[in-house]
Amino acid sequence: MRAIWFVSQIALFGLIASRMMSVPNYFQYYVAGLSVMTLYSAAIFIGFDIYEEAEHGVFEYLLSLPVSRKQLVLGRSIGGGLRAFIYVGPLIALSLYVIGAINPLSFLVALFALFLFSFGVSGMSITIAVIIKSSDRFDILMGVLDALIVRLSTAMYPLAVVQAANPLYGGLASFNPVTYAADLFRWGTGIETMTLSNPLWPLLGIIAFFAFFTFVGVIIYDRRIEGGGWQ
Amino acid sequence: MSAILHIVEHDFRNFFRYKWWLVGLISMNLSDLFIMAIVYNQMLSSVVMEEIGSYFNFFAPGLAVTGLFASAFMIGREVNMERRREVHHYMLSLPMTRMELAIGRVLSGGLRGMIYMSPLLLTCFIFLGFPTVWQLLVILAVLFLLAVGISGLSIAIAVSTSSLEKFITARGLVYYTLFFCSSVFYPLSLIEGLGRDGKFPAILVTLAEVNPLSGASDMIRSFLLPGYPPFSYASILNVVVFSAVFTFSAAFAYIKIIERK
Repeated sequence: MRAIWFVSQIALFGLIASRMMSVPNYFQYYVAGLSVMTLYSAAIFIGFDIYEEAEHGVFEYLLSLPVSRKQLVLGRSIGGGLRAFIYVGPLIALSLYVIGAINPLSFLVALFALFLFSFGVSGMSITIAVIIKSSDRFDILMGVLDALIVRLSTAMYPLAVVQAANPLYGGLASFNPVTYAADLFRWGTGIETMTLSNPLWPLLGIIAFFAFFTFVGVIIYDRRIEGGGWQ
Repeated sequence: MSAILHIVEHDFRNFFRYKWWLVGLISMNLSDLFIMAIVYNQMLSSVVMEEIGSYFNFFAPGLAVTGLFASAFMIGREVNMERRREVHHYMLSLPMTRMELAIGRVLSGGLRGMIYMSPLLLTCFIFLGFPTVWQLLVILAVLFLLAVGISGLSIAIAVSTSSLEKFITARGLVYYTLFFCSSVFYPLSLIEGLGRDGKFPAILVTLAEVNPLSGASDMIRSFLLPGYPPFSYASILNVVVFSAVFTFSAAFAYIKIIERK
């Protein structure tokens, strides 16, 4: 389903919408953002797995394993991120083919940032899942969050345009991990070298996002994991 | 008739079980309008800007149609789930004819779509202006026919696919082809231009032209946006034909396939 969505977004929406825009090379710009959007939605999925495990009693089994809670959440976070990355890998390869030439060194930095982004999103999904403990509420919240976090980012449009459209949207987009990941991926693939002169800021943003949701997530997970209460 | 109403009531109760999920879905639709459309407004090329004026105004009717499509399509998921869990045996045992059962399902899917779409359509009217009474009646009638046709299409897919994965894949193909090969997100002239330049397959250009989603979106626009696009009876005809074909084929498929072991 996600692959169909991805391909149709490139071959239909991306192609037609790029004709409508005044932004130069919007098609390549959009395809790069689409890869990050897909990675985000794939990494979120780990939260839904946690509910399924709670529903089937697998959660208790995991708690009984001879690993610490910290190891458990760290493993889940990295596993969820890695899984999403492997899943989205062919789609990213397709987008690279569409985008064209890349600088290998920049691309490696961007790829590393995407890894961290993916782990961070998994950690965020796990943290929210164990705080809420209700699959229905989680489903709704993630839907709303997905809508806001993706649309208030530079995944689909450049930051300058978002700021021109609405300064509040621009402010929110400036502190959005999806913005950091999308900007770095474009920088790595050579699309945004003109607008993103210094990739350090988004890279630091991604590292902070990863660190927050992994390490704060460990503490929250540790506190909320016991005692059931799953709905 | 009362049997059909019972089926409609059954499906509506199911629909409102997910009310918070629906609230989430509507908020996603509204974020498309109030974030994406506003930002896209800044990015439009001068040619397109001259043609449509404002992307926000252009997209608002398309968004109502998108919401209608997504919600009317939800009935298919339920029918597919009933088939997989063999709940359809219970449905077949109910004291009503197969035709009443089938019509009830198609009708309730369409009505659910109309209910879901109404806040989106109201938002569209608030920002673009209210139509006249006759225009409103035409809009509601055409959207209802479209919703029933979509509901029929989703039921036809649901009973023809044996597993959830196949249903979801088929749904994805239909969803995205109909959404993106339509004038919901961009003017039809853009797709036609790509077709003329040889960058878009002719079959997809034709699909976009006869697509009922294009017809319904452009009809609302013709009433609410002065001068763009001109009102066309052909767009209403497309919706009527789509609705008739899928309502009857869904009823027929539902009756025939659901009785199979």
